[in-house]
Amino acid sequence: MSDVIDREAPAAVLAPTPLLRHAIERACRRIAPVWPLKNFVAVNPFLGFSDRSFHATCAMLHRVARIDTLMPRAFYREAIRNGTIETADLAAALAAAPADWRLPTEAAELLKLADNDRIARKPPAVVATVAEVLNELAAGDRHVARTAFMTDEISRWCAAYFDEGQSVWRMPARGLRPYAAWRAWVRYDRNPEMMGIARFRALVADMPDDYVAAIATVIERLGIPARAVEDYLHQALLEIGGWAAYARYLMWNHELAGDRDDTLEQLLAIRVVWGYTLFAQRTDTAFREAWRRAMEQAALPPLDDQLGGDPDFCINMVLQEAYEIAFRRRLLDRLAGAPAARTAGARPAVQAAFCIDVRSEVYRRAMESVGDGVETVGFAGFFGFPIEFVPIGHVTGRAHCPVLLRPQFTVCEAVGGTSEEEDSEILVMRLLRRRVRKAWKSFKLSAVSSFIYVETAGLLFAGKILSDSLAVTRTVHDPNTDGLDDDLIGRLGPRIEPRPVGGRATGFDPAQRVAMAEAVLRAMSMTGPFARLVMLTGHGSTTVNNPHASGLDCGACGGHTGEANARVAAAILNDPDVRVALRQRGIDIPDDTVFLGCLHDTTTDVIRLFDIEQLPASHADDLRRLRALLAKATSLTRLERAALLGIARGAATEQQVVTRSRDWAQVRPEWGLAGNASFIAAPRARTRGIDLGGRSFLHDYDWQQDKDFGTLQLIMTAPMVVASWINLQYYGSTVNNAAFGAGNKVLHNVVGTLGVLEGNAGDLKVGLPWQSVHDGSRFVHEPLRLTVLIEAPLEAINGVIAKNDIVRELVDHHWLHLYAISPQGRVSHAYRGHLLWQQLEERSES
Amino acid sequence: MMTSSLWLAMSGPAALLAASLLPAIKPDLSHQAVNRMAAVASGVAGAAAFATAIGVATLGALHTPALAISGIGFGLYLDSVSATMFCLVSFIGAIVLRYSFTYMDGDPGQIRFIRLMCLTLAAVLTLAISGNLLQFTLAWSATSLALHRLLVFYAERPAAVIAARKKFLASRLGDLFLVAAMLLLYAAFGSLDYESMFSAAQAMRGQGAIPLGVQIAAVLMVFAGLLKSAQFPVHGWLIEVMETPTPVSALLHAGIINAGGFLVLRFTDVISLSLTSMDLLAVIGGFTALFGSVVMLTQTSIKVSLAWSTIAQMGFMMMECGLGAFAAALLHIVAHSLYKAHAFLSSGSVIDIARASWTPSPGGKPHPFRLIFSIAGVLLVTLLFSLLTGATPARQPGVFALGAVLLLGLIHLVANGIDERPNAYVVVRTLALAAVVAAAYFGLQLVAEQMFAGALPKTEALRGPLGIAIVALIVLSFATVTFLQGMVPRHATEPRWQALYVHVANGFYVNTITNRLVLHYWPGPAPTSVPVRLPIVLREHP
Repeated sequence: MSDVIDREAPAAVLAPTPLLRHAIERACRRIAPVWPLKNFVAVNPFLGFSDRSFHATCAMLHRVARIDTLMPRAFYREAIRNGTIETADLAAALAAAPADWRLPTEAAELLKLADNDRIARKPPAVVATVAEVLNELAAGDRHVARTAFMTDEISRWCAAYFDEGQSVWRMPARGLRPYAAWRAWVRYDRNPEMMGIARFRALVADMPDDYVAAIATVIERLGIPARAVEDYLHQALLEIGGWAAYARYLMWNHELAGDRDDTLEQLLAIRVVWGYTLFAQRTDTAFREAWRRAMEQAALPPLDDQLGGDPDFCINMVLQEAYEIAFRRRLLDRLAGAPAARTAGARPAVQAAFCIDVRSEVYRRAMESVGDGVETVGFAGFFGFPIEFVPIGHVTGRAHCPVLLRPQFTVCEAVGGTSEEEDSEILVMRLLRRRVRKAWKSFKLSAVSSFIYVETAGLLFAGKILSDSLAVTRTVHDPNTDGLDDDLIGRLGPRIEPRPVGGRATGFDPAQRVAMAEAVLRAMSMTGPFARLVMLTGHGSTTVNNPHASGLDCGACGGHTGEANARVAAAILNDPDVRVALRQRGIDIPDDTVFLGCLHDTTTDVIRLFDIEQLPASHADDLRRLRALLAKATSLTRLERAALLGIARGAATEQQVVTRSRDWAQVRPEWGLAGNASFIAAPRARTRGIDLGGRSFLHDYDWQQDKDFGTLQLIMTAPMVVASWINLQYYGSTVNNAAFGAGNKVLHNVVGTLGVLEGNAGDLKVGLPWQSVHDGSRFVHEPLRLTVLIEAPLEAINGVIAKNDIVRELVDHHWLHLYAISPQGRVSHAYRGHLLWQQLEERSES
Repeated sequence: MMTSSLWLAMSGPAALLAASLLPAIKPDLSHQAVNRMAAVASGVAGAAAFATAIGVATLGALHTPALAISGIGFGLYLDSVSATMFCLVSFIGAIVLRYSFTYMDGDPGQIRFIRLMCLTLAAVLTLAISGNLLQFTLAWSATSLALHRLLVFYAERPAAVIAARKKFLASRLGDLFLVAAMLLLYAAFGSLDYESMFSAAQAMRGQGAIPLGVQIAAVLMVFAGLLKSAQFPVHGWLIEVMETPTPVSALLHAGIINAGGFLVLRFTDVISLSLTSMDLLAVIGGFTALFGSVVMLTQTSIKVSLAWSTIAQMGFMMMECGLGAFAAALLHIVAHSLYKAHAFLSSGSVIDIARASWTPSPGGKPHPFRLIFSIAGVLLVTLLFSLLTGATPARQPGVFALGAVLLLGLIHLVANGIDERPNAYVVVRTLALAAVVAAAYFGLQLVAEQMFAGALPKTEALRGPLGIAIVALIVLSFATVTFLQGMVPRHATEPRWQALYVHVANGFYVNTITNRLVLHYWPGPAPTSVPVRLPIVLREHP
């Protein structure tokens, strides 16, 4: 690289090499996707690093982006002080640590080290971007360095390009691919030049039209050493990490459908070209010298896999390990105290299947404790039905299944007990109301009419603001029932009858019904005896004015409530023809067994039962008993949750839980999945009667019924992976909310109706708000990698690990801790990587 | 009734001030205790406001004798204008405080937050019921200084600091104008007591000879008001103050930003003495209204687009003042405050609206001839309406411009009901909506005229050739914007429109230039205080 760049010469266009294409692709794959707020499912923020170990990833993020992925040492110190971590845990962590971590051999020494905050720490080699060097020269003031301006400008452009409906006058060029659309915008955009970035438009116009060639040109001009190209590109993406994550989401969707998508790569081109324009401003020696040094440093080889280079980092890492060991010790102690298994075989009074979501554990425990003969089951909340659910009046539906899957069936929403004519009347009315509402909205939001809107309708908000404040009304219509008559709302439900709608087959034909019914029952290990009432309970949340509301809904249903899936599953299992076919396949469901689709409201812990008008009269008593049981269980669950929500115990406790769900100012309506720490796939008998504190994903699994271990494979490749995603999302948002979380909820500003900004500008935020993991005085989520316990033969588990790359990466790279439960119900083996297991000592009863 | 009992109105701001200061004396108060005190204080303020309103409604305008030395000092002036503001701000204040109790729960600075909210509210309420220009000016500055501390509530956020610095500069400039106006008015009237000032001003109007000092003072007051209400070209700070919790935005946009308009309305007697100041209000207000509302169309985040909307609405309100439609302006302040407070507090619900809206549009593309249809429809309804009630916008020439804007708004509403495949239900519904809007508009204007008849001058007639030119300009430009907006969907991709889009989305770069100047002349590291560190405490193991 020459020291002086001829600023007048046009950019030499470089042909992109395959090596560069590869580096771009890999840098982009390091970014984890973020789903839009309308279905904000949990994502593992380290998804792009699953090909390397947890430790190496932490070291790498520390080195490349100076992102912390562990708690501050004070956190572990507190855990040692209050006895959460015992000396034995420290010793165990030390014993398990790799030899090259340069750690003390004795726990006592480690304790002493833990008492000090990090002392002298030599800065690790960092692959700097232009922005980094500029920030350093400006003593960290990103505004003076103009790097904050760059982020704001790219973010604002992305918001306009990806906008899903906030702006009325939308970006004209949004039909073009991102890089071309951006250049079309820049052609007229004088903003950077107004900020003092000279020749911005010319510099961008001189770049090649092809985005890969543009990246190649920038890399050449900046003189990035070949070794550091991938790290440089990754670091560049991290500076617009939120929008990069959104682009990664678009890419994810395309890939799920079998397409390729280069939105993220184009965004990367925009980011590096922007950085280059800042670079071109600075011909001063101070900058050029700093840049030369940065490039020299970037050429040094990385030390990601050898943490020994940074002893302080190693200490924190081993403290984290000790912290997790301490949690596991307590969990295993607790499980060892399980009451003796009840004798199976008798017909239960009622069966209730819940989602594996950790919030179900509390309710299931309550339900089992208040009624004799209650049997609960844990299963992924979409009940094995990957459906696209199309609400009335919509053309396309929403995928009600884990985001790892594509929906296989289309189910339309319909009003129960109506003729086809009535159906179309309802549909037409909803559409017409929507058109009127659209005209009114346009009146409200347009340039001139908005003044008249305020002068005529503004006063009405005196009443509205008061009633919203008192939680008498909801801020806006519930999106699910908007535009429908009140008397219809209670009669809405999924329609499973096969019927072509808009040229697409919807519903289920008889063969599909039988196949799905058998699959779900076997996967739940629910093959009899069946109770007279079997609840299939999905879950959803009730919150108001909460941009992240869908994040509290069912992740297994793709960030929607589980109502549709549960009702579809119940309806199919109630189909008499299905019952006959199932009997031929060895599952005998008695005629008096009725499946009920239900919805567990995780905010208020109320359970709604659907389609009970179809319940035969013979079951009226059962229903009455069930309702009484549920009322008691709801009460118990609320009391348990109230403690964590900081609601004082008293007469009004339950009412306060309900009030919270309607409060438009509430930033913590419920704790969601905070606290999640373990995943247990075993028969319920192993955990029944044990208080797991709402921190366990419980999946029922009986390996003796699983002939070819197909169900095991299903559990380990889907629910376990999803649980780990959720777990790592909470982990990331807890250890470093600035990098992996959504920041402070009271500053949230919804952008493009798809995400949030923190404040008025800056990058799109990913992950969970600070308020979702911290209650103001303490962390409600503990940053623990997921502990997975599976009751199955070791060979069977190994078989699944060997066959599935996703699973192998998770377990071999320590993104979760895997344990096996013996047929006697004891946690007997720990997975140590590469299909090797270590037998655990029998715990003495003391 | 003894006039001294009027001082009871001060119990509202006083209670809030006490709630703000008490925790300083007793630092060990829990946040629940502070919240309770704030709630009681806002209740007292609400009761005082209500009592004031009742008093004014039954007894007419009231004022305390000046507690002043040669006209400089303190006093209360309670009439329909100040009572309205008193009620409005204490109502919004109570709602916003109630919201904050829950919203800020768990924030390490929650006590400081509530205290600052109370302090700011106390200052705004003092401003509203003030009866002496000195008191007004002090409350005016106090409001801005208290607000400043709320704007940098998260002092570690650099963007918050930059925006607050911009606001600080604009506010001090405004203070300077107001103080200068105060001095000039004291020189002219010999008193800062409203009662004496207003009667002297009316006497002056009767004589027809307006001293230059008063004219300059009027213009300075107008500038102070425009600065306070974020009018072009000093609007930039308002669109960047979302770096502080949502309730601050709600209070700012619904309570504090009105102070500029309130200044103009309070001193209408003085300001309307100067035709220049009225013309300035009409022109700058009208321009800001269009500028803000056009930029709003392109904004992609909810809070920023609400902020642009506030700029526009304040502009419209200022324009109404400039056109002499003072009662309409006050009505606009009240209606906008309620609307905007709700809009900010419920801004998280925009996701629900997005979840409920479906694409593609069920009615197809907009109908090509929809403007013609809607103009015909609106004119028909207007005609019918004026035949029935005898009210026509033309009867009062001063509100001709506003009537025209109303018609434009209705045309827009009806046009949006006419899609490619028009449907009778939709068209009739939107026509009915338009009729309701028109009726509400005239009804509310009449009520406002009646209510504020004693406190605000009647809508003024046109004021000579320049006045006519301004009215014509306003009508023409509002009409142009309406029709241009209708053209956007069809022409958006043409190069000229693309360029316009980029310039508009950037707010015509005014704010960027201001930011650059602020960064240049007032640099320095943002975080003066250490970022607040939360205690790291584990969740208790069960």
